[in-house]
Amino acid sequence: MSTIASAARSQVLRRNNVTVTGDPAGRPIVFAHGFGCSQEVWHAVAPRFESDHRVVLFDAVGSGASDLGAYDPARYDSLHGYADDLLEILDALDLHDAVFVGHSVAAMVGVLASNVDPSRFGALVLVGPSPRYLDDDDYTGGFSHADIEGLLDALDANYLGWSETMAPLIMGNPARPELGSDLTESFCSVDPRIASQFARVTFLSDNRRDLEQVRTPTLVLQCSEDVIAPPAVGRYVHEQISGSRFVQLAATGHCPNLSAPEELAAEITAFLR
Amino acid sequence: MTISSSPPPTRSGEDELHESYVELFHDAPCGYLTTTADGVITRVNRTLATWTGLGEDELLGTAFVDLLTTAGQLFYESRFATVLRLSGEVREVALSMRCADLRDLPVLINALIVPAHGERAEEIRIAVFDATERQDYERQLLVARRQAEASEARVRVLQDASSAFGLAMSVQELGEALITAARTGLLAASAAVLLPGERDGRDLIVDGVQMDPLISAGLMDLAMQAIEGDEVVTVASLDQAATIRPDLDVALQEQRLAALSIAPLRGDSGAHGVVVCFFGRDQVFDDDTRDIHAALARQASQVLRRVRLQEELAHRALHDQLTGLANRKLLQVRLDEALAGARRDARPLSIVFIDLDGFKAVNDALGHRVGDEVLVEVAERLRGVARASDPVARYGGDEFVIVCENADAEAAGVIAERFRHEVGRPLTSVPPSYSVAASVGVATWTPDDTADDPEPERLIRLADEAMYASKRGGRDRVTSVTV
Repeated sequence: MSTIASAARSQVLRRNNVTVTGDPAGRPIVFAHGFGCSQEVWHAVAPRFESDHRVVLFDAVGSGASDLGAYDPARYDSLHGYADDLLEILDALDLHDAVFVGHSVAAMVGVLASNVDPSRFGALVLVGPSPRYLDDDDYTGGFSHADIEGLLDALDANYLGWSETMAPLIMGNPARPELGSDLTESFCSVDPRIASQFARVTFLSDNRRDLEQVRTPTLVLQCSEDVIAPPAVGRYVHEQISGSRFVQLAATGHCPNLSAPEELAAEITAFLR
Repeated sequence: MTISSSPPPTRSGEDELHESYVELFHDAPCGYLTTTADGVITRVNRTLATWTGLGEDELLGTAFVDLLTTAGQLFYESRFATVLRLSGEVREVALSMRCADLRDLPVLINALIVPAHGERAEEIRIAVFDATERQDYERQLLVARRQAEASEARVRVLQDASSAFGLAMSVQELGEALITAARTGLLAASAAVLLPGERDGRDLIVDGVQMDPLISAGLMDLAMQAIEGDEVVTVASLDQAATIRPDLDVALQEQRLAALSIAPLRGDSGAHGVVVCFFGRDQVFDDDTRDIHAALARQASQVLRRVRLQEELAHRALHDQLTGLANRKLLQVRLDEALAGARRDARPLSIVFIDLDGFKAVNDALGHRVGDEVLVEVAERLRGVARASDPVARYGGDEFVIVCENADAEAAGVIAERFRHEVGRPLTSVPPSYSVAASVGVATWTPDDTADDPEPERLIRLADEAMYASKRGGRDRVTSVTV
């Protein structure tokens, strides 16, 4: 193992704040968070896999405790930059036959990465995926351009320059006393400029053509009453990925990893069995 | 049995207190509601019902997120709900609610998770403040700030590019600086500079993209359109690409590209070429984006004229103006490099020295002009049969020197024989009665640990002396020596 290669590996792991837990000999399972937060969204899901999996969590560059200095606006102006990062993480840990669990926009990042190098992936679990949020002639993504501009306005309105880094005001979460407020802040603090670009990339990308190229066994998990990824979109993803399985969750909203971790974990386990 | 020292509150007193709290709740100067952990409204005050124009009965059992505008829902689900769930509380989040009369109500929201306690399930308490006026003010601030930032960013992009272009000393460096500017200024995933007609195969400067498949898929047609129309040509999505050329969308997608824009590079005498920016996702090319792209291309065009002139001057300083061959100065540089390379790789090095036979007769009888034509023709022939990596230099009036790397005496002899034969063929620039031939000398050095490296001048002198031996031996022949 050369020193340069090992330095590059540790640079990747630091850049994406990669954490590895669980059984080192177990089948790897990688959890990826979506727009708006960090690996912390998996806190109630990931530990359920530690007994028989090597569990990998990371923050997308620009989110959570990732290295903000590594944020290159040109690299991250499309989801391909995030897909390349994912492949570098898999490479740095030398994972094969990995189970990739991607929430929201990270689901599409997993699709793009597995299309580039299928050899790393054993299964894709897409939680609330959407290949395109905008409505098109014969496609219903759920949103108009005006809606997305409205979201960008909402982001700007909420981060209106009061400070360069906007962290939610946090008094400590009474439901999770184990977290100090400092720690919680770092989970969800964002750089407003990065959040704005990430929102554009997330909600203005069109990755419908990439779905049909997927050759990895895929599970599509669709929430009930999900305003961000409506059921028709989940169905579309399922239809475009041949051989994929579609499961409608009882969980409502867009974040079953937070609202229904038991159900989510049970469906993932059932798919892998 | 309990004995109290003060009388317990009367039933009617409790009721009065309760009613006053109910009134405090319902008529608070803010909307106030509770939801289940899933966000379904369980209690709501009259203020919010009045503001939204929805009845209390309608609101109860509704998901809170459904009261928001679509953009508000996006923000709520992707950010608000996550942070609330993780941190237990959010404050002063700006959102918009959709009222019964379809009016949008800008609000600020505080929310708090109250954990399950005994019989009581977990609930979320939400206070809603009317932020109409604040929102108007903030919107103005926001619009002003965005405009200021956009124009500042634009100026910065062009200034940075201008400094980087100013440092470029060659067409290659300028092209690289332009590609960097496209990446940082336009957020291009990759970029290419196409300069048709640029000499020495430097017609393409590219980073991060395979151009051949795109050119096969019709990229040059779009480039021509940009050049001929003197305009920025854009392809905003793969679907649009498919309507332009049937294969262009596939060729782009295979390289993980979704959109492109092309701006012409123009000089005094018309178009130089184009700069092409490629993007990894669909683009909206508004006027501002096009303007920046066009401005970058204009700046680069101006610098391109300057670096071309510089390169031209540098070329002239190292080349013979008549024949275009290397001059003595460049020969010196190439020979030094070749000697060092021969020593490093322990490979033989040969110098071929050529002097024309019969040239003086042509010059004297037919004049300098014809003499010059002969030199040009001979130079072309020498270049034509020399190995591609061997520099051919004009050493003096009708003397030429060729440096042959990795050529031992035998190989150099073959090469020298080729030169002699090529020069000896009838020339088109003089009548058949005048014959021109080549006396050739070859000096070969094989690196040897026991001896010092020869001086470059000595190698040339030995080749020159070998050439004289050919002259003395009857001309039109090759003489070889080893160092």
